[in-house]
Amino acid sequence: MTASAVESLLRPRKSPVLPFVAASVVAHVGLTVGFLLVSALLAGPRVDLDAKPIKASLVRLGKKRDDKLLPRKEEPAPPPPSKAEPAPTPAAAPDTAVKVPTKDAKPEKPSKDAKADAKDSKSKLFDALNKTSRAASAEELEGDPDGDANGDSAKQEGERYYALLSNAVRRRYDVSDTISEAERKALRAEVAIKLGPAGELLDVGLSHASGNELFDGAVVAAVKKAAPFGPPPEHLREQLRKQGVVFAFTP
Amino acid sequence: MNRTAAVLSVLVSSAALAQQPVIEISGANFRPMPLAVAPPMAQDDAARAAAVEFDSALVFDMTACGLFQVLDRKSFLADAKEGVTAASITFSNWSNVGAESLIKTQLAADGDNLRADLRLFSVAAGKEELKVSETWTGREPRRLAHKLANAVYKYFTKEPGPFESRITFVRKVAGGKDVYLADWDGKHAVPVATGNINVLPTVMPGGGGVAFTSYRRGKPDLYAQRVGGEPTVLSATGRMTSGVAYSPDGSRIAYSVADAENAELYVAKADGSGPVKVTDTKFFLNSSPSWSPDGKKLAFVSNRAGSPQIYVMNADGSDVKRLTFQGNYNTTPAWSPKGDLIAFTARDERNAFDLFTVNVTNGKITRLTQDAKGNEEPSFAPNGRLILFVSTRSGGKQLFVMTHEGNNPVALPMDKGEYTTPDWGR
Repeated sequence: MTASAVESLLRPRKSPVLPFVAASVVAHVGLTVGFLLVSALLAGPRVDLDAKPIKASLVRLGKKRDDKLLPRKEEPAPPPPSKAEPAPTPAAAPDTAVKVPTKDAKPEKPSKDAKADAKDSKSKLFDALNKTSRAASAEELEGDPDGDANGDSAKQEGERYYALLSNAVRRRYDVSDTISEAERKALRAEVAIKLGPAGELLDVGLSHASGNELFDGAVVAAVKKAAPFGPPPEHLREQLRKQGVVFAFTP
Repeated sequence: MNRTAAVLSVLVSSAALAQQPVIEISGANFRPMPLAVAPPMAQDDAARAAAVEFDSALVFDMTACGLFQVLDRKSFLADAKEGVTAASITFSNWSNVGAESLIKTQLAADGDNLRADLRLFSVAAGKEELKVSETWTGREPRRLAHKLANAVYKYFTKEPGPFESRITFVRKVAGGKDVYLADWDGKHAVPVATGNINVLPTVMPGGGGVAFTSYRRGKPDLYAQRVGGEPTVLSATGRMTSGVAYSPDGSRIAYSVADAENAELYVAKADGSGPVKVTDTKFFLNSSPSWSPDGKKLAFVSNRAGSPQIYVMNADGSDVKRLTFQGNYNTTPAWSPKGDLIAFTARDERNAFDLFTVNVTNGKITRLTQDAKGNEEPSFAPNGRLILFVSTRSGGKQLFVMTHEGNNPVALPMDKGEYTTPDWGR
């Protein structure tokens, strides 16, 4: 065997694959750790899958009013179209008599009334056109472009009922203007109520008086006027019947 | 009433089941109290003669003060002969027409005088809450009614009522303008300065006279005049002097003196002596001074920034601050006697003149009038709750009152005429 003899191909030798495998493992570990780090740093709030979804609605209200202009009062909402039912008119007896042409009969000329009718319909048409053009030139609504007309209606189911109570009472929360402004600041009154399964008032009373008879009277009246409320959800019925709920009023 | 900024929060402490959940409710809708004013019961012929005027003044005071919603008598269910004591009143008749409070009055002649008894009842409680008796020397049924109305106002608000205060205004007459002094409702109007052109009046401290600007010597000068007295000159500089305003304690006056393109404010003693110039802006105008209730500051109009705007400064002219930054034509400031607000006239982007208030502390501007023709020249009631102003909403220039929030505008029951620049005496 000479030195120049070719080495056997079968001779065991170091595999060149190992460094690649090692590099690959290091790279994967690095990437995984990096990904975990980045996702941990940029993580959003944890999602609680048991929570009820929140429905939020964002509504564009109009272009924002120029800050340099004087403020305008909110336009009152247009009154709902009156649904005045047309007064029932006694049905006219159908004209059953058939006109029989006679010798003397002349072809009917359009009467003065007919002319007036034509005039009327013309003016009606113009009126309608006027109205549409007026409607078209109606002002653009002003408001906050990022405004939220409906608000977000996030209410857990239990809270939804309390919100209903609150809204119903607040709508009737009328207080006399005669209470002086100085006095208003210190007013606080509480009204305790108990509710039946249909949302009816079982018991209502002033549990904490404000010291101002007008205010105390007004808050009790607000609760009484707001009742009956809708039927409470099943799981609240017992509690509302036995312990009830307290409304705490401040101006 | 536009108080929709209702803040609502629901705090439900349902975690602690033993405790009652508490629902917090705020954002009350403050609204005028429904009030029934029964027709006065006249005891004799003299009282019957006075009853119509007495009744009209009492109903006007209750209607215009903004605290009450005075109910229409046509809806009343009670017997016209129902008594005036709680025992004789069927309160259900009053609650059924929506009344929360009820006023009953009796009138009687007392020698040469007129006596009135007023009783105020809470309808829900069915009890008498207030009883006042007043006698007026001479038979002045309107003034007697104002006195009783003040008692009712004070009962509810714990503040003095404005119904016995005085106002002044200018009335246009053939060939000139006259200055009048009148009761708060524009009645008992007495011409004080007549002949030639007399404008921009202000009630003198105490209410017995007026100070005004008059063109009787060609150029405008300042005069003061008591009812039935002779005019005294407050300032006659030979330049154009106008728009006098008394400090709340009556010791000083502020006014404006103008040359061709320049007008400066001056402060002098009440008799016009010792004038001191308190603004110094060459080429610009400073006018319409109005004192703060503590007499330490002045609100005024200046065009130093290009357009007329409302400014405030110390009464010695130091520490000038611009207060309005919205709109480009803001004039006639009137400082509320409560101190927190300044009412003013502004021309908005639609070229309509309307009334606004600006909060002195934070500069917040609130609109008081809108879409009701022209509204100008506000002046506060002594208690700061009402504003007297000129409006063209029912045709010519008429005087109106409304609340300081812009609610419940009511025309003063005055003779037909053109009225301008009202001022409410403090």
